Amino acid sequence: MTAIGTSVARADGPLKVTGQVQYTVDTQLPGMLHAKVLRSPYPHARVLAVDATAAAARPGVVVLTAADLTNLDHAFGVALRDQPIVAIDRVRFVGDPVAAVAADTPEAAEAALEFIDVEYEPLETVMDPEAAAADDAPVLHPVERPRAPMFVGWPAERFRGSLNVCSGYHVEQGDLDAGFASADHVFEDTYRVPPIHHGNLEPHAAVASWDHRGHLNVISSTQSPSIVRLQLAEIFGLTENQVRVVVPYVGGAYGSKVYAKIEPLVAAIARKAGRPVRLVLTREEVFATAARHACTVHIRTGVRNDGTIVAREVRAFYDTGAYADTGPRASKKGGYLAGGPYRIEHQSLTSYCVYTNKAPAVAYRGFGVPQVVWAYESQMDDIAARLAIDPLELRRRNLIRDGDTFVTGDVLRNPGLDEALEAVAEAGDWGSPVPEARPGFAIGRGVACAIKSTSTPSNSAASVRLNADGSVHLLTSSVEIGQGSTTALAQVIAETLSIPVSRVTVSLPDTDVTPFDQSTISSRTTFSVGRAATDAAAKIRQQLMSLAASQLEAAVTDLDVDEGSVFVRGSRDRSLTFAEIIRRHFGSPAGSLFGDSVFQTRGGLDPLTGKGKASATWFYSAAAAEVEVDLETGKARVLRIATSADVGKAINPAQCHLQNEGSMLTALGSALFEEVVYDAGQPTNSSFLDYGMPSLEDHPLEFHSILVEHPSEDGPFGARGVGESVISPVAPAIGNAVAAALGGARVRELPISPERVLAAVDQQPEARA
Amino acid sequence: MQPFELLQPRTLEDALDRLADDEEARPLAGGTALVVLMKHALLRPERLVNLKRIPALQGIDWSSETGLRIGALTTIREVEQHQAVRTWFPALAEACHVVANVRIRNLATLGGNLAHADYQSDPPAMLIALGARVRIRSVSGEREEPLETFLVSGYQTTLEPGELVTDILVPPPTAGRRMQYLKFTTRSAEDRPCVGVAVSLGLEGTACRDLRVVVGAVSSTPVRVAEGEELATGKVLTPDLIDEIAGRAASAVDPIGDVRGSPEYKRRLVQVLVRRSLLGSVTEVSA
Amino acid sequence: MKVGVQINERELELEVATNSTLIDLLREDLGLRGTVEGCGVGVCGSCTVLVDGRPVSSCLVLAADVDGRVVTTIEGLGRNGALDPVQEAFLEHQAFQCGYCTAGMIMAVKGLLAENPRPSAAEAKDYLSGNICRCGTYEEVLGAVATAAASSDGGGD
Ligand SMILES: Cc1cc2nc3c(=O)[nH]c(=O)nc-3n(C[C@H](O)[C@H](O)[C@H](O)COP(=O)(O)OP(=O)(O)OC[C@H]3O[C@@H](n4cnc5c(N)ncnc54)[C@H](O)[C@@H]3O)c2cc1C
Repeated sequence: MTAIGTSVARADGPLKVTGQVQYTVDTQLPGMLHAKVLRSPYPHARVLAVDATAAAARPGVVVLTAADLTNLDHAFGVALRDQPIVAIDRVRFVGDPVAAVAADTPEAAEAALEFIDVEYEPLETVMDPEAAAADDAPVLHPVERPRAPMFVGWPAERFRGSLNVCSGYHVEQGDLDAGFASADHVFEDTYRVPPIHHGNLEPHAAVASWDHRGHLNVISSTQSPSIVRLQLAEIFGLTENQVRVVVPYVGGAYGSKVYAKIEPLVAAIARKAGRPVRLVLTREEVFATAARHACTVHIRTGVRNDGTIVAREVRAFYDTGAYADTGPRASKKGGYLAGGPYRIEHQSLTSYCVYTNKAPAVAYRGFGVPQVVWAYESQMDDIAARLAIDPLELRRRNLIRDGDTFVTGDVLRNPGLDEALEAVAEAGDWGSPVPEARPGFAIGRGVACAIKSTSTPSNSAASVRLNADGSVHLLTSSVEIGQGSTTALAQVIAETLSIPVSRVTVSLPDTDVTPFDQSTISSRTTFSVGRAATDAAAKIRQQLMSLAASQLEAAVTDLDVDEGSVFVRGSRDRSLTFAEIIRRHFGSPAGSLFGDSVFQTRGGLDPLTGKGKASATWFYSAAAAEVEVDLETGKARVLRIATSADVGKAINPAQCHLQNEGSMLTALGSALFEEVVYDAGQPTNSSFLDYGMPSLEDHPLEFHSILVEHPSEDGPFGARGVGESVISPVAPAIGNAVAAALGGARVRELPISPERVLAAVDQQPEARA
Repeated sequence: MQPFELLQPRTLEDALDRLADDEEARPLAGGTALVVLMKHALLRPERLVNLKRIPALQGIDWSSETGLRIGALTTIREVEQHQAVRTWFPALAEACHVVANVRIRNLATLGGNLAHADYQSDPPAMLIALGARVRIRSVSGEREEPLETFLVSGYQTTLEPGELVTDILVPPPTAGRRMQYLKFTTRSAEDRPCVGVAVSLGLEGTACRDLRVVVGAVSSTPVRVAEGEELATGKVLTPDLIDEIAGRAASAVDPIGDVRGSPEYKRRLVQVLVRRSLLGSVTEVSA
Repeated sequence: MKVGVQINERELELEVATNSTLIDLLREDLGLRGTVEGCGVGVCGSCTVLVDGRPVSSCLVLAADVDGRVVTTIEGLGRNGALDPVQEAFLEHQAFQCGYCTAGMIMAVKGLLAENPRPSAAEAKDYLSGNICRCGTYEEVLGAVATAAASSDGGGD
C-alpha cells in the first residue's frame, strides 16, 4: 500500500473550492437570536453599577449581566478559573465583556447595547509584564483564583512579586555560578516580543441552545470540543452527557480557539433567552479575545573560547494579559525550552506568567516557544561574532545529540536536528559568498534552529467503524482547522487496512458521538489521534482476520490483508473481500464492525523541581534566511528562506510543506511588522486596516521547505508532528540575517521594523559600511 | 449599521437639490470609507445621497489643450487603467495603482478619496504635484479650486454642506515632463502609505524649468516643498542640489506619529525618499 | 428598497434594507454562504465576489447598489456539475488549507484571468496580494493560477 508518504488529495477539497464547506458562522437554527457584547472601554476599572433596565425593556431583547449569574461560579479558565463570563465587579482590559444582549437581528442587539448604563471607576493600569510582577504593581486579581482541575500547577508564591504573577516555572541543572566562573565570555541581553494577533480569518463563533431535557447544545469553532464540554459542564453544573459540542470545519485558528472562549457567554445568554443564540465576533472583538503572549526575556550565557556553551540563565516574563487562560502552560513550556536545543552543563531557567491590562494572551502556534527561541538564537549569533566562529559551526558544536538528557530529564531519541540544520544551510547556500547588494543596500544571511515539545500527558480516543461494504468511518473529536487532519487520519487508516484512502471518511467532532480528544493543539493530532486511529484500525483488521480464518478455514497466522481483502498467504485465490466477510458473518450485506482505541501519553513535570517527562515526542526545526536591508530606510526584505522540520514520517508530504509555509509566513510577519499596539491601555490597531499580515507580495522571493524524517517511537508510522515546528526558528534567522547585513548591529525587540533597524545602525555607525 | 434613507438621484441637479434640502445628508460614492465608518458607528447619517447613478459624474476625458477631466465618481481602478492617464500621467496611474487592493480600487472613487481627505492616502500628493484642481458644484453654482487648498487638514476640506466634487482637472503636461510617485510602506506590502512622495519636473534642456515636490501621508495634508522647488528653478539638479532639496523637504513636514512610524522616523524617510525620487527623475533625463 | 439583480445567472427581484450590504444579501437573504466575512473592512478578501466581472469586497458594497448589476459568487462557478478550471487548479495544487479565504481567492483569480488571461507570476502576485491567506498557502495559489491560465479555455470565461 502507498497511502503513507503520498500527497493524496485533501478530503475536504471539493467542499472548500466550491464554497459548500460549512463553518460555524454559517449555522442557522430555527428561532435563533443574535448576540452582541458590551465591552469595557477602560483598561482597568471597578464596575460600580450596571443598569440594563432600558435595554431589557426593548421589544425582543434579552440582556445578560453578572446579576443573572449570581448562582453560578462562572469564572472559567483551563489553568486558573479567573475569567468571568461577564464582569462581576471589575474590568481588566479594553474589551472585557460587561454585558451581553440577544435580539432577532445583530443590528437590533447592537442597538440595544446603547441602552445599558455602566458606571466605572477607573483604576491604575499596568501594561508591562515585568513591571506587573513587581510587588508594588497595581493588582488585577486581588483574590487568588482557584485552579482548574486539569492544571498541574506550581506554587505561584515562589515567583512573586505581586499577585499578578499567576504562575511560574523553574528548572535547573549543574551549578550556575561555577558554570559562569568557568566561562571565557559572558553575554547578557534582553529580548522582547510584543503581542501579535492570530489572524484566524473566521472569527470566533458559537451557537448555543438548551433543550427541554436541560441539555446544552453548542456548535462552536473551537479547537477543543472535548475540553469545552468539560468546561461548560463545570460552569453550569451539568454532567458531560448533558452537554453536546459540535464543531463544523474551522476557518483558521492557530491557537486562538483553544479551550473555552465565547462558548460560556453564549450558553449563558441562550439559557436566559430560552432560544438558540448565535454570537459571531467582529474583527475588533477577535483582537479582544486572543493574542500571542508578549514576552521579555533576560538571557545570560557563558561560553568558552572554543564555543562551548557552559552556562545559561534565562528569566522570561510572559504577559498573559488580563486572564491566565493557557498562560501558565505556555510559560512553562517556554521556560523549560529556554535553554535551546543545546548541551549546556549549567542551567537555570525561570519563567513567570504575569497579568497585565491587555487582552488575554492564549495559545498561539508555537505555544510560548518562539519567544525564547527569538532570544537564544539571536544571542547565539552575537556569540559567534565575538568568538569569530561561523554561526552554523557554533551551533554544530553545541547541539544536543541522540541519547542526550534534556534539562527536564527527558532522554532525546533520534533527534533530526543536525540534519535539519545542515539541510537549511545547504539550501540557503551557507558558506558561499553573499550576493553583492545594490548601492545603499546590504544583504546578510542567518540561520537558527529550535526544539519544541508536545502537550504531555494527554490522550486521544478513536473509534473506527467498518461498514458492510468495506468502507470505513473514523469517529474522532479532532478538529479540521485546515491542517488536513481529515486527510492524514484517513491515510493512516487506509494504510492499516490496505484500502484506498477514498474509502475512509473522517468525522468532524460531535461530542455526543465522537470520543474524547484532548484538543487539536500542540502539533499532536497526527501523532496522538493518528496513533489511536491506527490502533483502532488494527483492531478491525484483527477482527476481519479472525472472521476470515473460520470462513476460509485457515489459521489466523496464515492470513494477510491486501487491497480490501483477507487472503491466505501463498495462495491468493483463497481470499475474501471485507464486504464478503461481513456478509457471511451477519448473513446479510448489512452491519458494521467497531474498533476502539485510546492513545495515552504519560509524563508531566514535577511542580517543585521542574523535572520529569516533559514530552512524549519532540519537534526539531531550522531555518536559513537571506535578507536585503535598505540602509537608508531600514526596511528589510526577505529574499530567500529555507525551512526544515523533523516530521518523523511525512504521512502527507504536501500537507507537511503547507504547514511549513504557513508557519514561515506567520513568523515572517511577526519578525518584520506584526504587533498589537497599545497606547495608555487602549489598543490602537485592532482592525485589519491597521494590523497588517503577510500578503503574497510579502512572501519571500524564494522558499524551500525541507522535511527531515527521523522516526519517533510512538507516532503512527514514525510520525512526530509538524504544525508548529518552523514558526520558531524563522524570526531569529531573519534577525540574524539583518544583523549580518548590518555588520553586527542587532535589533533585540520584535518586530524588526525599519525604524528599529535604523536605530540599530545609528548605535553602531560602522554598520553603515 | 444603523438604518438610513438612501436617495438615488439620476441627475446632478437632483442630487444637489437633495443635498440642499437636508444639510445633514451625506453624499455616497464608492462607500469604502463611508461604509466602514458607518459600520463602526463612527458616523450615523440618517440620509445618504447616492452619487453612483449620475452619468455626469462619470468618465475621463483627455485633450491636449485642456488636459484631463476625471469625473469624481470614476473609480481609482478606472483611473489607473485609463489609456490617456497611462500615456500622459504614468505617475498618476502608479499613485492610483498602489492604493489598497484591486477590490477596493474597483469601488473607491477618486472624488471620494479627495473628499474624504484621509492623510494616509496616495493620489492626493501626486495630483497636487501635477497641479490638479477640483470642480465643485452646489445649487448656488460652481467653483474651482486647486486641490492643494481644497485639502484643509485631516478629514477636512473646503467643501460646504450641499457641495459636491464633480470633476478633478489636471492640466496637460509640458513636453518631456518627468513624474514619479513613490509609496513607502513600513509593514505589510498591503499597508497604507507611511510616506508617499510625488515629483513633477519640467525641463529646459538639462536644467529644471519648474519642479513640484509633494510629500503625502506624513502630515495632516500633503505638503508641498515650496522652498526646495524654488531652489531648483533654473538649475541643473546635481546630487548636491538634490540633497539640499531633500533636506528642505524634511524640515517642511510636520509628521504625525502612528502605528506606521514615529514622527522622527517619518521625517528621516521624507529626506531619503525625496532624494531618491529626484535622483530617479534626473537619471531618467540623462538616460 | 427594490433591487433587480442577476446573481449567478438568475434574474432576481429583491427587497433589501438600505443598511444591508451585499454580503448580507448573499448570505442571509439568499443563503449563498460560500462567501464569508473575515475583517469587514475590505482588507482580507474573504468576501470577494464579482460585480460586472470585477472583484469587489462584498462587505463594503451596499445591497442597494447591485441594482441592475451582474453578481457572480463562488456558487456560480462551474457548469453542469463540472468544476470551473480555476477550482480544478486549486484542487490540483492543494491551494487551500482552512478554506476560509478560498472562495474569495478563487473569485479574485477569476477576476484576474478575465482581465489578463496569461498573467506573469509578478502580475498575479500584484493582483492577488490583497487576498490574505493566514494559513500561508500562497505559492500553491500562484501554481493554481498558472495551471488555470494554461488550461485550454484559460479559465477566464
Ligand atoms: C482596505 C482599504 C485600504 C485602503 N488603502 C489605501 C491606500 O493604500 N491609499 C489610499 O490612498 N487610500 C487607501 N484607502 C482609502 C480609499 O482610497 C478611500 O476609502 C476611497 O478612495 C474613498 O472613496 P469612496 O468613493 O469609496 O468614498 P466614500 O466612502 O463613498 O465617501 C468618502 C467621503 O467622501 C464624501 N464624498 C464622496 N464623494 C464625494 C463627492 N463627489 N463630493 C463630495 N463629497 C464626497 C462622502 O460623503 C464621505 O464623507 C483604503 C481604503 C480601504 C477600505
